[in-house]
Amino acid sequence: MWKVMLKEIKELLRDRKTLFFMVALPILVFPLLIGVVMFFAGQAVDKAENKVLDYAVVGAQYAPALVEDLAASDLFNQVMIDEGEDIATFVKSEQADFVLVIPDNFSEDALQSGQIELSLYLNDAGLNMVRRRLDKIVDVYAERSQQKAFASLELDESQQQALIEPIVIKKVDVADKRENWGEKIGGMIPYFIFMLCLQGAMIPATDLGAGEKERGTLETLLISPIERHKLVLGKFLTIALAGATSALITVSSMAVWGLVISQGMAIKMVSEFMSAINAIDFVLMFLMLVPVVAIFSAVLLSLSIYARSFKEAQGYMTPLVFAVIVPVMLAMLPGVELKGGWAWVPLTNVALAIKELIKGTMDYFQLFAIFSSTAVIAGALLYFCVFWFNKEKVLFR
Amino acid sequence: MIEISNLAKKFAVENPKKLSDQEKKDHRLKGRFFHSVQDVSFYCESGEVLGLLGPNGAGKTTTLRMLSTALTPDSGEIIINGTNVVTKPVVARQMIGFLSGSTGLYGRLTGRENIAYFGQLHGMSEEQIDAKISELADILDMHTFLDRRSENFSTGMKQKTAIARAVVHDPKVVILDEPTTGLDIMAAQTVLDFIRRLKDQGVPVIFSTHHLDEVAELCDRVTVIHHGKTHFSDSFDAFKAQAEGSLHKSFMHVINQGA
Repeated sequence: MWKVMLKEIKELLRDRKTLFFMVALPILVFPLLIGVVMFFAGQAVDKAENKVLDYAVVGAQYAPALVEDLAASDLFNQVMIDEGEDIATFVKSEQADFVLVIPDNFSEDALQSGQIELSLYLNDAGLNMVRRRLDKIVDVYAERSQQKAFASLELDESQQQALIEPIVIKKVDVADKRENWGEKIGGMIPYFIFMLCLQGAMIPATDLGAGEKERGTLETLLISPIERHKLVLGKFLTIALAGATSALITVSSMAVWGLVISQGMAIKMVSEFMSAINAIDFVLMFLMLVPVVAIFSAVLLSLSIYARSFKEAQGYMTPLVFAVIVPVMLAMLPGVELKGGWAWVPLTNVALAIKELIKGTMDYFQLFAIFSSTAVIAGALLYFCVFWFNKEKVLFR
Repeated sequence: MIEISNLAKKFAVENPKKLSDQEKKDHRLKGRFFHSVQDVSFYCESGEVLGLLGPNGAGKTTTLRMLSTALTPDSGEIIINGTNVVTKPVVARQMIGFLSGSTGLYGRLTGRENIAYFGQLHGMSEEQIDAKISELADILDMHTFLDRRSENFSTGMKQKTAIARAVVHDPKVVILDEPTTGLDIMAAQTVLDFIRRLKDQGVPVIFSTHHLDEVAELCDRVTVIHHGKTHFSDSFDAFKAQAEGSLHKSFMHVINQGA
């Protein structure tokens, strides 16, 4: 069994393609991709912030001061709209970025005029800074009008406050920061880890099963005097090791990059959050992944040995990626907690447990259910794999 | 000494609609089973080379796969030097060397590692493996490429490595399934020389082929199977005497006789 495993690992380490996917991709490419996305997102926001917006005003005569303020801004450029022209069409045909319609009751005396409704016509589908820039200018008028009204009513400061917001609800969150963030991102992390384990195991699995058939080495291997279950175990362990290594590399890479970025950008929260999770929790997370990786490896190896070629094997394995989403999605549903029956649902329970560990609210007694159910299923699948490797119908299709 | 008697093997037909017209007409198709090998018997003494002949689809590969323990026969017996292959496959595997024309190598391993891996699976020690590899490398002239990755080997180099791998454990019998198919003349000659060397060493060899000149060159015995049944099994001279003229005529005579 160890001989088979050693040889498979040796072969795996010499395969540049596999190494690329297992090591280089998580360490360099993912952070690089995320960096590129962030760079372009930043550029887009920058561009939107500095763009000079064309605008037109209808009813300018009702608020000459406001119109003057708009015209004075560097970031706005006034264009003319003909009287009676349809405003929506005007904006749609991109003759202006926005059109502001001022009503005839515009004044700075709120008590006299009542609420004033300015209409803003714009295409709000894309990223734009119209509202923010406009608010900056209009708010000055609104506040002045408010102050004027308060003054004429002779209200003191606390009365003013009460009028603006008669009732306020103050939230007191008893969840600490870790639990709060754990709930928010804890559901996503198992999904990433599962995917990476699966992805990392997939390429070696294809090679170790279907690859033997395609290269014409399977028959020779089958008639060598090694018991079939040892052959399967050797291959299985290699695949499991590859999956776990790939996941470990990815998670470490994420942690390191997370730290680098949080240090570089002085985001204290991330590093505080990371340090709140203690070493035992990390070890537990990893231990729970062991039977999960075993489940994946057994399934992948069974699929791979059934396939006649690499191509066929990849065809069988791709749907598996979608199948794995289901138990993780279940773990993300509200109300699904690591209690009772859910603690026995494989994959879902591990996903839930990882979330709980991140939140720091783990009920350690549930580990028994998690390990038993996952290990039983992994064992059963491995047994099936050995059985599968003894079927002539599978080996010589 | 290898003795095979009344071997039979059937395969379940998963989708009868997918069978070709020729396969549907084949009388070996019975219900949901295709009786690929129905009754095959032959034997081969030490130091003899047996040529297994038959048209495509006759059941040659299935027979040799049963012989090599890759497939389990439904009925019949295979005895190698007194060991029953069917009941003790793992023991029998120690005694069998197997090679086919489509046998591949692990491309990312060197020639030496390919051979050594199978030596290890056969339970040989490091020293035994090293000694055997250097001996085989001398015989097969492999020293120049032994430590290179096998993915870049020429067909001839690959076949030499495959031969060395098949006999690294000193098998008591060597089984070759169309070993020269798809090889160029030089590589094919390497295989034929190798068979002759085994014969000289007294190792019985069973090989299937479509090339009757190879049979004339090497074989002591000839077995012809057709539609999964033995139609002829005797000495080469008896085979040659089946028809006047060429071996091709003898072959056709044997096939037509049984039809």
